[in-house]
Amino acid sequence: MADIGKVRIRIPSSIKPGEVVQVRTLVIHPMERIERDREGRIIPKTYNYINKVIVTYLGKTIVTFDTTQSVSENPFFSFAFKATDPGPLRVEFLDTTGGRYGGAVDITFA
Amino acid sequence: MKIAVRASRTMTRRTMLGTLGVIALAAASGTLTPPRRAGAQPLGLNESLDEAMTRVFGSRSIKDGGSLIKLDIPLIAENGAVVPVSVRVDSPMTPTSYVKHIYVVADKNRIPVVTRVTLTPAAGQAFMGANIRLGETGDVRAIVEQSDGTLWQVKREVKVTVGGCGG
Repeated sequence: MADIGKVRIRIPSSIKPGEVVQVRTLVIHPMERIERDREGRIIPKTYNYINKVIVTYLGKTIVTFDTTQSVSENPFFSFAFKATDPGPLRVEFLDTTGGRYGGAVDITFA
Repeated sequence: MKIAVRASRTMTRRTMLGTLGVIALAAASGTLTPPRRAGAQPLGLNESLDEAMTRVFGSRSIKDGGSLIKLDIPLIAENGAVVPVSVRVDSPMTPTSYVKHIYVVADKNRIPVVTRVTLTPAAGQAFMGANIRLGETGDVRAIVEQSDGTLWQVKREVKVTVGGCGG
């Protein structure tokens, strides 16, 4: 659990200007499932799971994911974006307990 | 000694009544009720598929998008806890015509709505991928909302060997 919130972002090794690039990203997170008591009733509590993923490129939001507990543990997402200029690509994961886990890569052209 | 006892007894009754009053007030104003699930989980609720579809899409009609949407998901998922899914949509992704949302819905999950992806024209391509959980064998659908509000969907049945949703 020490790794919770660790973000990994994978981009292709070489990117050409104007190219549409697919990016893969992952965060280490338990994504707690709903728990039930013996009678099958849902135990009411705040479940800790990622409910939002925000991707920004050059400071502008390009893709957001709203997610639920139906997403796997250590959630993995992929998305595309058009690499127009060199600059930072940031991915931020938000969970239901207020945790924010971010990661960034620099987009450069070979 | 006697006075002290009597005083403490009356105090107890008074404080008791006062406490009861506070509880009644709190219950009436709703501060004692547990946090509302709707606020905590606006997208994914523990509900049936029909409830989820009506809640998210209302009565809007959804067209068959077989020619438009490519839903990539294994036919047999051995482990329902991690099922890779990806959705690609044929769209020019220009500011006038682009894909606004991609929804992934797992029909048999207790929480049917898996994710809603919001895209912008800057994405360049209407594509998303994720690892999802599947509770049991059933349809998985991808629903696409275009910038003009039209809805398209495709669905595929996935056989699940070991369910991954628990709860």
